[in-house]
Amino acid sequence: MKRIVLIPVLALLMAAACGGKKPPVPVAPPPFPNGSAPGGGADTTASRPPDPPPVPGGGGVTARPIPNDPYSARDIKDINDNSPLKPVYFLYDSDQLDDTAKKVIASNADVLKQQATWVVTVEGHCDERGTAEYNLALGDRRALAVRNYMLTLGITAERLRTVSYGKEFPFDPGHDETAWSHNRRAHFMLTSK
Amino acid sequence: MMKVRIAITLFLAALALTTVSRPDGVVYASRLAAGTAQDEFALALSNVGAHPHIGLPNFVVTGGGADQATAATTIADVLWSDIDFEREYDMIPRKRSASIPVAPPATLPFDQWSDLGADFVLAGTARFTSATAVTIELRLIGIKGAGRGKEYFAMQYDCGMQTARGPRDCAHAIADDFHKQKRNLDGVARTKLAFSSNRDAMRVTGRPTTTAGQGKEIYLSDYDGANQQRFTVNRSLNINPSWSPSGGALAYTSYASGFPDIYVANLAEPGRALTRPAHGSDQVQNQLPAWSPDGTKLAFMSNRSGNNDIWIVNRDGSDLHNLTNTPSANDGAPSWSPDGGKLAFTSDRTGANQLYVVTAAGTGLQRLPISQKIDRPTWSRLNFIAFTIETSSGHDIAIYDFNNPGVKILTDGVGSNESPAIAPNGRHIAFVTTRWGHKQLAIIDRTGQNIQKITEVGDNEHPTWQPFTTK
Repeated sequence: MKRIVLIPVLALLMAAACGGKKPPVPVAPPPFPNGSAPGGGADTTASRPPDPPPVPGGGGVTARPIPNDPYSARDIKDINDNSPLKPVYFLYDSDQLDDTAKKVIASNADVLKQQATWVVTVEGHCDERGTAEYNLALGDRRALAVRNYMLTLGITAERLRTVSYGKEFPFDPGHDETAWSHNRRAHFMLTSK
Repeated sequence: MMKVRIAITLFLAALALTTVSRPDGVVYASRLAAGTAQDEFALALSNVGAHPHIGLPNFVVTGGGADQATAATTIADVLWSDIDFEREYDMIPRKRSASIPVAPPATLPFDQWSDLGADFVLAGTARFTSATAVTIELRLIGIKGAGRGKEYFAMQYDCGMQTARGPRDCAHAIADDFHKQKRNLDGVARTKLAFSSNRDAMRVTGRPTTTAGQGKEIYLSDYDGANQQRFTVNRSLNINPSWSPSGGALAYTSYASGFPDIYVANLAEPGRALTRPAHGSDQVQNQLPAWSPDGTKLAFMSNRSGNNDIWIVNRDGSDLHNLTNTPSANDGAPSWSPDGGKLAFTSDRTGANQLYVVTAAGTGLQRLPISQKIDRPTWSRLNFIAFTIETSSGHDIAIYDFNNPGVKILTDGVGSNESPAIAPNGRHIAFVTTRWGHKQLAIIDRTGQNIQKITEVGDNEHPTWQPFTTK
């Protein structure tokens, strides 16, 4: 009994530990502290001293992308257009996660663990058969179901946003079961990285 | 010096003359001196099943040129449609009477009108006093029997003709006055619709595919679909507009900041003076606004307690509170009763979405006895609720009448029919239908008759009907 409880706790702790090891992102200091711009004039760009020449040779820092991270050079739009985060599909009028859905969510959670700075929005979508108003709530339930399962996999709440689009944004414009099955989804969108 | 003063005086006199022309839509009505034979007309109307047959020929036009003649024809066409729309009279199609010579009321070709079956003719003159002002004299003349040649209605209307809206606004004002005087009926010819549409195909930036990112904006139109114009311009999803009781503001849901929140736009203010009284965020999302009848509050659906409930907030954002605190159920689509004392809403607390009524204080919850799945209740000031009902073929528009309890399905199962909006006089219902392919707005009489197409371009959804505005 105790062990069952401990496993998710351990997973959470490990996730937290992983997050803690990540080096802090360097933040450039503001060019001048507030109100102390040289000359004190309104036009600070005019009185700014020229940039120093680049430091030549040894002692400088060379930067290069981490070879194993395929996403560092891609912008958010590009990643969303061909995303490693896969959609989760639902049955008609259902917000239940079946085994396939849970596997997809777990794989998406792995991506988020690799990309520790990513914040995602889980969008709830519906097929066109229910009424527009009902589907706004159904989409919300789908997004929340996926979010809640992600939380159990150790992804922290502040990295997961949700939004319901009801049946307003169909991925497949068709009007048959194929289209409907594509449109009953929770879609992952990268919001910031 | 003297010459200058005279010139200024002349200029001012000219200015005074030109300001006589009216702004479009502001119509001055005055009764003509001629006596009206009200009683006999009332007698004819009280005859059961006898909707009088009325002909409406072109006006006798004086003054102006070809443009003014065209404007006068538009006024007659629109007036015909406005009167036909309220179904109080059996209007003779203008095409059928087109061959009858246009004549002043005194010299109407009575026999020809009688042959067409006319009981009365609504005959008028259009006198253009300038290119931008017209005076319409309108008389209802008896055609048959002892009433032949008698006047049953005689009014004069001064209308502005300064913009393209002029002729239609003039006709709408005349129609509403005619219905009020002859039938004590509040016509809806001057009311408007608001709805959402993807017709301009504005793609929302950052969306993964074209169809999953086609924005919807709010549009306004006259009640009859004329003068459609875009209201929101933000390349996002803007849906479910709700017209404030005074007619001066719209509440709607916008995803402009990335999540759904309720916006209130003031139609008279430059820049709309947008407010967000429901305090949405990326964690707290709000949908489906509905105004209280006094315009001080909004009810809406919100997931701020972890699931969707009905919440109420003052228009200024104060006194936010949960009306239906049901953690295990989804409550949505609120609508206020005409006296503001109750709200209708949907809930899936027993499984499928059913129609519930609760007091504004959150007490006295009651489920209305409707077995089918329903959505989007809309409470008319005439004490019935229109809603979407699930039928074997899809969705239809139905009403539940408190005066005669029971469900009546109005639409005919053709296509999917959703999201009713009730005209302020309770006689007509605008809704969304797929019967012509794309989602289009249509209007149907409360009796279930006379379906009329309102929109043509793109997909058009979520109608709301402007209430009667205080004059």
